[in-house]
Amino acid sequence: MPEIIGAEALSVELGAKRGLLKNRPGVTAVDGVSISVNEGETFGIVGESGCGKTTLARTLLGLQRESAGRITLQGADVSRSGRVGREAVQYVHQDPGAALDPWWRVGATLAEGLKIHGVADSAERQARIRDMLAAVGLDPALAERYPHELSGGQQRRVGLARILLLRPRVVILDEPTAGLDLSVQAAVLRLLRDMREKFGLTYLFISHDLSVVRRVCDRVAVMYLGRVVEEGSAAELFAAPRHPYTRALLAAAPRLDGAETGPALPGDPPSLRAVPSGCRFHPRCGLATPECATRDPVPETAGPGHSVACHRWRDAA
Amino acid sequence: MLQVEGLDVQIRSERGTAQILQDVSFAIPRGGTMGIVGESGCGKSTLLRSILGIMPKGAETPRGAILFDGQDILTDRAASARGRIGFVPQDPYLSLNPVFRAGDQILEIMRRHAPGSRADHKRKIVELFRAVQLPDPEGALRKYPHQFSGGQRQRLLIAAALACDPALVVADEPTTALDVTTQREILALLRRLVAERGLSLLFVTHDFGVLASVCESVTVLYAGRVAETGPTRQVLDDPRHPYTRMLLACHPDRSADLSGIPGTVPAATAQPPGCRFHPRCPIARPDCATAPPPLVALPGGRAVACPHFETPLPENALA
Repeated sequence: MPEIIGAEALSVELGAKRGLLKNRPGVTAVDGVSISVNEGETFGIVGESGCGKTTLARTLLGLQRESAGRITLQGADVSRSGRVGREAVQYVHQDPGAALDPWWRVGATLAEGLKIHGVADSAERQARIRDMLAAVGLDPALAERYPHELSGGQQRRVGLARILLLRPRVVILDEPTAGLDLSVQAAVLRLLRDMREKFGLTYLFISHDLSVVRRVCDRVAVMYLGRVVEEGSAAELFAAPRHPYTRALLAAAPRLDGAETGPALPGDPPSLRAVPSGCRFHPRCGLATPECATRDPVPETAGPGHSVACHRWRDAA
Repeated sequence: MLQVEGLDVQIRSERGTAQILQDVSFAIPRGGTMGIVGESGCGKSTLLRSILGIMPKGAETPRGAILFDGQDILTDRAASARGRIGFVPQDPYLSLNPVFRAGDQILEIMRRHAPGSRADHKRKIVELFRAVQLPDPEGALRKYPHQFSGGQRQRLLIAAALACDPALVVADEPTTALDVTTQREILALLRRLVAERGLSLLFVTHDFGVLASVCESVTVLYAGRVAETGPTRQVLDDPRHPYTRMLLACHPDRSADLSGIPGTVPAATAQPPGCRFHPRCPIARPDCATAPPPLVALPGGRAVACPHFETPLPENALA
């Protein structure tokens, strides 16, 4: 499968201020990240809050300017262009209720995107909206309703329909199952899978719910403090995690059998304003050696399509 | 320690009368830990508010009883409950006042509910901060909420819940706003404090994994009624009510495919007659739609509100 969207040594600086007398430096929320997402796959990005996963997504989307590195979309360099030329990349908001205008009928919200994207003919807009509502499993008559009249599951379907109407190739899903009940979650994930097949989509799936990522993603990148620390196929990453951070993250998820696997990860991630020297994970790592505090690990190959940035991954197994 | 008996709560609004809780009964022994699980709209929050004595707007006088230490606190709030039920809220980011120092926010609670001088209270808070493993317990008194991380704020709120020496701690999904690594630490802390201080714990959650790690027993709510109750391990390993069976079957730890329970939870204003789960139940019979099934006791401290709990589910129950 060819690459559809990719980033090379991408860095994003946030919060820098240029003052009259002194410049306040920002923090590097994404620091030299390289990823390559293939056409038709679901690529997961996981990590704790503040690891840079949302910033990475916003930068790929063009809402956030990168400070260094290159972004390619369908083979073309789209770095530093903002949203221009990136219509093929769309974003599904985490909270679908907040993404819909409460004063607008659902149909009007759906039509707005089409108007902006140059569908001038009202009849065609209405026809496409009807078809899309049916495609996401909703009654087309719902176009006449207001967002508050819909259930959470219906709002999520409308949110997805709004994006799919724009005929994207790559859809960024930000925590698509956050706050959903177990019995509804499955229906939403199934819908996403069906839509991917039907419209030939590629997903960038941002989540901190590892059990969901395990079930729906083909490949996964684990981020820690702005860096990708491990990347591989979901099957391999979950079966044989190599990076101590990935192992701790997997062990921390509560399990139905109540068993605790592996040691807990103490403390919080350090602030981006005080990034540790060497390996960024070393102050919290049980395997850290003096070398880890001085030398920054580079990604090494741990298996086919599996890379890990850790000096001691061979000892972790 | 806490006994809820036949609790009925109705809320009147312009859209009609909603039966939020109907005939809810369960008990937590002294030192016991009970989890309340259920999906959104099952009445978890209303149950919690009834126990805390903060009924939502429009609520009619509830029927039934909530006995705390033998006294009914549903009708007479002034009874023994004051300051003796600690509360850990869901969202540590929204539950602290950003313009007051951490110490002052807890001192305010203690001034109302705990005996002793201000100096005594301060000493007590530092001791609690140490117990919940906040870094620099003395310094933390004078810090503002934004100076703490999410996990530290939840520790702070746990300390606040313990400030008046409660006998019962009520926790409302205290880890949903936290990362999994932080969640694990907070759950370990709660387990330790409950064991060390002999507290009773009522823990509301929608996560069966969290439930398994904290609670000895569990009550499963569906649409405002108790579906099933019993020791956590037994309920998770061998669920009896069709709802519990289906819900656990679609848990990611147990299901490889993406299946869920067909249909949706009914609106509180339009509850189906009889068993509230019958429209979604694959083993429902005609009598399920006529009368609500009573909660029937089973051996091993379990109880289930379904007369057909021994009927196996069909292969295609989940969709």
